[in-house]
Amino acid sequence: MEKTLVVKNLALAFHQERRPVTILAGVEFEISSGETLALVGESGSGKTLTALSIVKLLPPQARLETGEVRLNGQSLTSLSEREMENIRGRQVGLVFQEPSAYLNPVFTIGNQIEEAIKSSLSRKEKKERVAQMLAEVGLDEKHYWHYPHQLSGGMQQRALIAMALINHPSLLIADEPTTSLDVTTAVQIISLIKTLIKKHHLALLFISHDIALAHYFADRMAVMYAGRLVEIGPTRTVFNSPRHPYTESLIACLPEKYKPGEKIRAIPGTVPDFANLPSGCPFHPRCHRRMERCFREEPEMFPVASALVRCFLYGNSVATEPGN
Amino acid sequence: MRRYIVRRVLQFVPLLFGMTLLSFLIIHLAPGDYFTQLKMNPQISPETIAAMERNFGLDKPVLVQYFYWVKNILTFNLGESFAYHVPNAFLIKERLLNTVALSVFSIMATWMLAIPLGIYAARKKGCWQETVLSAAAYVGISLPSFFIAMLLVFLAARTMVLPIGGTTSIFWTGASLWEKFVDYLRHLLLPGMALTLAGIGSLYRLMKNNFLEALGSPYILTARAKGLPPVLVLYKHALRNAVNPMITIFGYELSGILSGAALVEIITNWPGMGRLILDAVLSQDLYLVMASLLIGGFLLILGNLIADILLVMADPRIRLR
Repeated sequence: MEKTLVVKNLALAFHQERRPVTILAGVEFEISSGETLALVGESGSGKTLTALSIVKLLPPQARLETGEVRLNGQSLTSLSEREMENIRGRQVGLVFQEPSAYLNPVFTIGNQIEEAIKSSLSRKEKKERVAQMLAEVGLDEKHYWHYPHQLSGGMQQRALIAMALINHPSLLIADEPTTSLDVTTAVQIISLIKTLIKKHHLALLFISHDIALAHYFADRMAVMYAGRLVEIGPTRTVFNSPRHPYTESLIACLPEKYKPGEKIRAIPGTVPDFANLPSGCPFHPRCHRRMERCFREEPEMFPVASALVRCFLYGNSVATEPGN
Repeated sequence: MRRYIVRRVLQFVPLLFGMTLLSFLIIHLAPGDYFTQLKMNPQISPETIAAMERNFGLDKPVLVQYFYWVKNILTFNLGESFAYHVPNAFLIKERLLNTVALSVFSIMATWMLAIPLGIYAARKKGCWQETVLSAAAYVGISLPSFFIAMLLVFLAARTMVLPIGGTTSIFWTGASLWEKFVDYLRHLLLPGMALTLAGIGSLYRLMKNNFLEALGSPYILTARAKGLPPVLVLYKHALRNAVNPMITIFGYELSGILSGAALVEIITNWPGMGRLILDAVLSQDLYLVMASLLIGGFLLILGNLIADILLVMADPRIRLR
């Protein structure tokens, strides 16, 4: 059976004044229907750009260099902007980080959901469809007439979810949907998304910087560093026995892992600048298990157990002694 | 909403009261007065002066005079001009019409050109069209309105395309209503163009920046992610947000309807309120000044009220209480 979403060898570059700057390289993953893939990584690692590449909503200076995106068996790569308008909303729904900014302040919730309906329905049928959708995301029918500022953050995010799902798409992309919400509201939104996914058998690409949250409800997990996927596999495999040193450090930094009184750990160094990526493996300057060849060559993805890991520790040669 | 408007209209009364009282006192602070001036003027008979004295109580203290003036205003008597020897209402009526025609023409022309041009430039951001438009706008902003007016008068005189000065041509009396209208418009065109050219640059720049800001907003990404066609993304989602800040400016423009055109009126010899008020102030024609101030103040308050009401209709986040 064809997967809902297949992303193959995606590469993206920013074309600015001088030379193109590569942002994404060799990004590959698949999501089947009913499955949740979590894309995790630090801020600025290229997660959002990966999501926007799928629906081709990129900033003007960004260009897809290579790669293919297939949605329900159809290749999106060669589609024109007009054809993409038909894909967006109808086959892919998007939910973003900060609901208050992503809703237009001068139109009612109802208006904004209703205009997203792609099928030709009468006014009355459209209104019924919106009311039904509002109920499904746990909003009262009266919110149809409300403006975004009259709703709380959680309710705004519910409205955006309703908007993304109104055409019953097969894929939902949620880009840090709970980051700007407080913890209790975030839990409600997460469980709402979970319910909706089960109900509509949706494929979900869940983007988060929070590996613990991703672990809580993703089937599979992909870890991104400097525009590359460094590890991808079933959530339990990746979370319980991380293979890539980066994943390992991310999980070691989680607050749950501390004993009382222990000092807070952090990965030394900072996320590299895309314009000045380190040679070889981009993670080597911060890596505690780097080897000599990490300075020179960039590793490919090597299969380890049920996961794929982009690290020389797991293939391409005999493991050499970890150096400094 | 209705209650708000009623209350705002009621607030007009104390506002106008305070404004006129202040202007009345300030005019009296000026050295010399019309009284001495009039007495030295052989054209005005002592009887007229005496009649005025009785009518407005000019021999009484300033505050009492003010209340006499208010009493006259309440009976729609704007008093008589010392300089022109006709009722101020008559003087103002004609001039007011000319100024309002000029202002309405130039405001409409400015907005109808600046808004589409701003949107166009925002959509062509970084292209040569935007560069050309923005450079032209820069020139327009740099040139003062009176200079543009002088330039246009010069050009009109050279080419004889447009009439200069006044509102009517010689054939006016025999013309049909339509011909009169066209003739009036032709006379209006010169000062109207001067005001439009002077105002269009800044408005264009504001609109362009507002539209660009709206286009960069996250809700535009939402609209595109919904798969909306560009027409809706641009002219529904972006435009509605870009126009909101312009409404306040529109209110200010409305309030400037009387005084905003004064310089251009004087240079193009357009018989509007600008010239009248200037002359009245110079010759201390007290009641003419007061009448003009009253109308100007009224328009200022009205313009702000209209802007507030428009803003509420455009932006749901603003509520009137």
